[in-house]
Amino acid sequence: MEIILLSNLFVESLPAGITLFVLGLGFAIILLIASQKLRVEVDPKIEQVHQALPKIDCGACGFAGCSSYAKAVVAEPKLLGKCAPGGTACAAKIAEILNLQFAGSGLPLRPIVHCRAHTADRTYIGRYTGIESCTSATAIPGVMMCKFGCLGFGDCVDACKFDALHIINGLATVDYEKCTGCTACSKACPRNLIKMVPLAGGNVIVVACSSQETGKDTRAMCRVGCIACKLCTKQSDVFSMNGNVAVVDYNKYSPGEAFEAAYNKCPTGVIVYRGKNAPADRVPAEKAAAG
Amino acid sequence: MDTFTSLLLGFISIVLINNLVFTKFLGTCPYLGVSGRLDMAFGMGLAVTFVVTMAGLLTWMIDHLVLIKLHLEITRYVCYIIVIAGAVQLVEMYLRKFFPPLYESFGIFLPLITTNCVILGMCLFLNLWGIDNIVEAVVLSMGSGIGFTMAICIMAGIRENLVFAEAPKALQGAPITLITAGILTLAFMGFSGMIR
Repeated sequence: MEIILLSNLFVESLPAGITLFVLGLGFAIILLIASQKLRVEVDPKIEQVHQALPKIDCGACGFAGCSSYAKAVVAEPKLLGKCAPGGTACAAKIAEILNLQFAGSGLPLRPIVHCRAHTADRTYIGRYTGIESCTSATAIPGVMMCKFGCLGFGDCVDACKFDALHIINGLATVDYEKCTGCTACSKACPRNLIKMVPLAGGNVIVVACSSQETGKDTRAMCRVGCIACKLCTKQSDVFSMNGNVAVVDYNKYSPGEAFEAAYNKCPTGVIVYRGKNAPADRVPAEKAAAG
Repeated sequence: MDTFTSLLLGFISIVLINNLVFTKFLGTCPYLGVSGRLDMAFGMGLAVTFVVTMAGLLTWMIDHLVLIKLHLEITRYVCYIIVIAGAVQLVEMYLRKFFPPLYESFGIFLPLITTNCVILGMCLFLNLWGIDNIVEAVVLSMGSGIGFTMAICIMAGIRENLVFAEAPKALQGAPITLITAGILTLAFMGFSGMIR
């Protein structure tokens, strides 16, 4: 019975299928002829540059997609090196096509989340049950004690096209294997926690905190915040103070240098490594109790 | 009423009185998107007029010669969309070859003519209004395109001058454009009921 019905259905839908097929074929032929007659000669360089680009249309360069960036860079060589996911290799390839000399910093920029507090490390004063988005949560004072830390609702996760960001225990965590450095997450974070940093030598050292509160207040609301004790600045001049938080100056940074002293001295363990195979964050409790 | 009079009345009706943009609110996307400059608006209007005339003719022919005879009215939408998409592709190639600056300035709005509701709307209206004469179908389709051109050109003319007007800060840009569109529609409502 079922077989008969199915075959009936097939026979009855056949005219529709044939009509549409003929119609589509007719238009295909017309368009094929038209495309031959109305062919436009484009600069072959544009196509070559487009081939050299990663073709992921991430928009990090500020253009609508890879094809419009290719067109722009051929017309305006100054725009060379805007492709963040492609990095130096891509820029060098484009420079070769366009017969240019490319001299740029060789390091790819990668996003670093400047907060390391997981849910257990933080202090909450109320329960937020509104829209699950950092942008709306950050507009409400007192969702979380810390006004600077990661809210963990994942606006950056939504912004990421490459599945390279995940909220792990309430903290946005970058998967550097998948990250292309397209800067979408750093634009999405309403608290500006995610900054693009040259990832030298696989791992970089990071002060993973943005809190501008005084040390006392920071410690009261977060187990792993930067308490502005300035110990790290005494160990290495890569570290400097920006208000009440220590920052790493990546212009002075070189991967070979030993940061073990600063890393180990930090009383709250807020100095961490980030990168493809970064060691696990230090457990803060030991030192926090002592200090 | 002889044929010529009825054609003329139909044409005036679709351009002024039953203008698809003003009375049916079709094609609002390019109407607001490409009406920034008069020359671009005119080019857009011509492109839409061409596509809608071709699509109206072809879809009417396909509808009456194939679909109704084979009782395949159910595939009407799909067929119409194939025709419209094909026509838009043709226009795109033509513009790219002969008017590259216009092609560049249209940007995404050129392929988006495919989804311009004026065109699919007109093809479906031809069927809905029971137009059974091919000449009338062509005249009405072309009239709807000219009506769209007229609407978008009026809008562009106003917007070119609107740039110099001192609109309140909260209304600058899109809001004042939408208010303008509303008032324009209101003005054209004065024609309603004259024919049909």
